[in-house]
Amino acid sequence: MQAVKVLEIKQSVFADNDEQARLLREELKKKKVFLLNLMSSPGSGKTTTLTRTIEALRDEFKIGVMEADIDSDVDAKTISQTGAKAIQLHTGGMCHLDAEMTRQGLEGLDTEGIELAILENVGNLVCPAEFDTGAVKNAMILSVPEGHDKPLKYPLMFSICDVVLVNKIDVLPYFDFDMEKCREYVKMRNPNATIIPICAKTGEGIDQWADWLRGQVKAWREA
Amino acid sequence: MHELGVISSMVNTIEKIVMEQGLTQVHKLVLEVGELSGVVPRYMEACYPAAVYKTFMENTVLEMETIPGIVRCKDCGREFNAMAHDFTCPDCGSQNMEILSGNDVIIKEIQCS
Repeated sequence: MQAVKVLEIKQSVFADNDEQARLLREELKKKKVFLLNLMSSPGSGKTTTLTRTIEALRDEFKIGVMEADIDSDVDAKTISQTGAKAIQLHTGGMCHLDAEMTRQGLEGLDTEGIELAILENVGNLVCPAEFDTGAVKNAMILSVPEGHDKPLKYPLMFSICDVVLVNKIDVLPYFDFDMEKCREYVKMRNPNATIIPICAKTGEGIDQWADWLRGQVKAWREA
Repeated sequence: MHELGVISSMVNTIEKIVMEQGLTQVHKLVLEVGELSGVVPRYMEACYPAAVYKTFMENTVLEMETIPGIVRCKDCGREFNAMAHDFTCPDCGSQNMEILSGNDVIIKEIQCS
């Protein structure tokens, strides 16, 4: 029998995924495809927000959408109605997408001619935060009924997001949601996060969100 | 099952390391699991055999060491164990803190041949 070797590694378990994500980001930069990773808990309004986003930006960018879910294709069908190119990804029971799955998704979508690719991640505030997908920017949606204390409960998610959309502000009068506290908690976890209150249903705040996204794509292209 | 994805990602990381060293068999794996990593050692142990089934890591012994979640209060500077004090500074009551340790899951060492 061979002698047993002990290797001191001291490397994160996510090291391989982080490396895949870095490579994917480089590739996308060469192809000039801006990838946005959109995350949230289930039912916060990701698909409705995405529909509004596409309507606001489809005249400026060729948009492609990847809808990731454990099962079904209802979201991809909804997005297809906007005229944007959309595909459904099934994670096979996994609660998140990693960089390799994102790469396969982009191949399936065919990014030829796509300028803005949006990944709608699996509805979950835990696992998607741990797996870098290779996206240029991370966005998340926190909806009013979920409560303003979510940033305290899911610190990692808020710490990795570049922008937090506070959705469903039309129902603010019916919930004990404190917008100032929410801002304070998000800033505690991530002082650099931009916070934009929106209502995907009525379209309120979508202009500001579209401006932010447009600005990010522009800055990334010029960098 | 969140831990399942963590293990799958880890198997890929380890496979690369082992291949680079020209080795083939892993006997034991030692992980450092941070208290604030969101990974629960008990669940990790439970799903480990299924997660490595039919991979080169099958039949590997998994050992875990817990790394305490130490944070520093951003308001008064006090350093304390976040879990023991329910994420609230024992001196000033603030919940504004930065994590000093216990945020990661680290592959500490692997024993292979």
